[in-house]
Parts: sequence; structure tokens; C-alpha cells
Amino acid sequence: MPHEFHLSDRELLMLADGELPPREAARAETHLAACWECRTRKQELETAISEFVRFQRSSFKSTTPADGPKALLRARVAQQADIHSHSGLLFFLGPKLGWAALLLILISGLTPLIWRQIVPERPLQPVPSTVPNPSLTPGATVLLSQPALCREFNVNNKFVPVALQKKVFAEYGIRGAEPGAYEIDYLITPALGGADDIHNLWPESNRMALWNAHVKDALEDRLRAMVCGGQLDLHVAQRDISTNWIEAYKKYFHTDRPLHGNQQSGRNRF
Amino acid sequence: MVDSSSKPYPLLNSDREQSERTAPSAAERELSELFDELRIPLLRYLLGFPLPPHDSEDVIQEAFLSLFQQMRRGSSIQSPRGWLFRAVHHLALKRRLRSRKDLESAATLLTAETSLVDSGLNPEDELLFHRTRARLDAVVRALPEQHRWCLYLRAEGLRYREIGEILNISLGAVCGCLQRSLALISRAVQR
Repeated sequence: MPHEFHLSDRELLMLADGELPPREAARAETHLAACWECRTRKQELETAISEFVRFQRSSFKSTTPADGPKALLRARVAQQADIHSHSGLLFFLGPKLGWAALLLILISGLTPLIWRQIVPERPLQPVPSTVPNPSLTPGATVLLSQPALCREFNVNNKFVPVALQKKVFAEYGIRGAEPGAYEIDYLITPALGGADDIHNLWPESNRMALWNAHVKDALEDRLRAMVCGGQLDLHVAQRDISTNWIEAYKKYFHTDRPLHGNQQSGRNRF
Repeated sequence: MVDSSSKPYPLLNSDREQSERTAPSAAERELSELFDELRIPLLRYLLGFPLPPHDSEDVIQEAFLSLFQQMRRGSSIQSPRGWLFRAVHHLALKRRLRSRKDLESAATLLTAETSLVDSGLNPEDELLFHRTRARLDAVVRALPEQHRWCLYLRAEGLRYREIGEILNISLGAVCGCLQRSLALISRAVQR
């Protein structure tokens, strides 16, 4: 078959991408079957595409596991759904009843405020817990590879701003706690790629005699040493510590009880 | 002393009640499936901006939350995938404008990309792989942004029409961007 024409680069690309209209695609395929030159060009194009895809995929071989971000999204969606259901009530009741409901809500909201002004506030007795509430603190990480993480020398937990600490306490319903009773701690420590995010912070009770903040510090040190020593995958460490740090401690220290639970760490004390 | 080791998550009573009350709705389930399917492709697309990694995760969270709000309002979304890519694109642009840290981010991209490579090849192939990679990196970096976005979106399997809608350009422009970018990549590979 004589080649009175060759396919343009654009036609070759659109053919490769399935973007040519059927008639033109059929014509191009017929031409390719007969034209070695165009077939070679198409091959070069395919090679360029596959090299780019390989390049792009290899840039992204290691990523943070989806568990943390997914849990965070779930928590935020639940929060949204809650807000929506409250605001949807006014819409559902209609304008008149809606206003009445709004008034009731305002009154019920203001009463405790006024009451608090009259009656002195008593500190709440929060339920001490050793692990965070996963819906409030699912854990959050930054995208960081193991070598990049291990190059960091200054891996101490950053000071959590007081405003953020207050938010964390409010989320957990803790008011008027005694000084030193809690430590705002990172669920996934920055030394393991944990993010400075409210979803990665929780009030860890210092009242716990057994599984306390100092025990968790020991676990964090052990996990980082294992990750940087190449004995443990970073994502596994992040997942284990965020799922249940006590179980992780038992797993990595091969014990059912903390080995050293009395070291002072002194970070972000409330 | 409370030892909660036997119970992985000792929820407070109010939390337990809340979790029982709020079983995931159909929209939440759909969102969760989409998140599993599209988080990595969206993160890969954001390499084309580039944004610092934690910003990328934030942008994706925001996009999924917006989608959830749309779903709750009963908006009809023909292609959630295209919708999410479009949302992520616009949110990333906004985020970048706000932070004005393009150069810093570009440095982050380079570090992340070079440090994550573990090809598992023999030393000779490894060397070749790294050379090709370095050339491709230089080419992709030098591309105009729109060309780069087209490439990344196409690599995630989006059709020209979808790419055009996300970037607000014509089909011809999408094709032109891809054609020029691939010609440069082809030259870099053959060198």
C-alpha cells in the first residue's frame, strides 16, 4: 500500500489514548498496519508514556498508610453529619416552629451559662484513660520517607500551644483538671512522622500508675530505633502505635507489663 | 488504676452512645470507598503542583468533605472521580497562593522523590534507572504547569474531556499539552 500520507503526532497520540473518533481510528489503524515508520513513532510514543508512568509511580512507592487519613476523614464527616442533622431540624420544622425551636435551644444553651455564674464551678471528674478515643484522635502523619525521617536529629515533641491544648481538653470533655494530671501527647510522635494536628493529640493521664506517658515515651524511642535501624517498616510502626500503643508496647518489648514506667519526660503538662 | 489493655478503646459512655447512634450512612460508605480508591491517585496528581506533603493530605481531606456535603445536599454528581480531581486542583491552587512557598515546595518534591526510590534492580540497571529518572525529573520540572497537570491527570486515567473540564481548557489544548510534553519526554528517554 503506498503511503501518500503519514499520521501526525497528534493523531498518533489520540489513537494511543482512544480519543480518535471511530472512523478516523479505523483509518489510522489501517495505515499503521502498513507503515513501519508510523508504527515506530507510535512505539516511541508508548515508550515515553510508559517511562513517564514508571517515573511517576516510582516517586510514590512509599506513602503513608491510608488508615490515619481515613480515620481522620471519618471523624470529620461524622462531625459534619452531626452539624447537618442539627441545622436540618429547623428546616424540617418550618419557619414558625423553627423559630420556636431556635428559641428553646437558645434558652437551654444559656441556662447553664447563667447557672454557672451563680453556682461556683466544680471540677469535672473525667474518666481517666490510657488510650485515646479513636474518633477524636485517630492519629495523623506527614508524608515522610524512612531515610528522611531518620536524618532528622531534633525529634523531640514540639510544645503544643496552650490554645490547642485547651481545644483538646474541650474535645475530651475535661474541665478544671489538676495541674500535672494530664499531658497533651502526640498519639504518633513526630519522631515517627506524626503530624502537629489536633487529630493526633490527646490528653494522656499521668495518674495511671502502670501504662502512663513515660511508658509510651519508651515505646516511641524503641520504635524509632527499630525504624532507623531498618528492623521495622515506618508505616507498620505508625499503624501499631496509633491502633493501640499498649498492645504495641507488649509486642515490641515482649512483656505484659511496662519495664520502666517511672522516667520523667515533662512535656506539655497541663 | 485502670488497665485498659484488654479493651483496645475504652470509649467514654457518651462516645459509645454517639458511635452507636451514628452508623455510617450510604453517603459515608460511598465516600469511604472513594477515599480508598482515589487517595493515592490524588496524592500523585498533587506531585504536579507541588505542595508540601502534609498540605496535600489536607487538600484531599477538604475535597472529600466538600464532596460529602454535596452528597448530603442531594446534588447530582455524574463522575465523583472527575469532581474530586477538579476540587483537589482548585483547593491546591488556593493553598499554594496562600502559602506562597512554591520554591520551598519544589525543594520538598525533589527530596521526597529522590529519597523514596527503591527500584530493586541490579547495580547496572539501577544506575541506568537513576539516570533516566534524573533526566525525566528535569524535563517534567521544566514543563509549563498546565502541561504537567495534563500529564499527571492523563497518567491517572482521565479522559481529555475530563482534563479539559478540570483545567478549564479546550480538548485541543489538552491534546497539545500532552503531545509537546511526551515529545520532550521521548527525547529525554532516548538520549
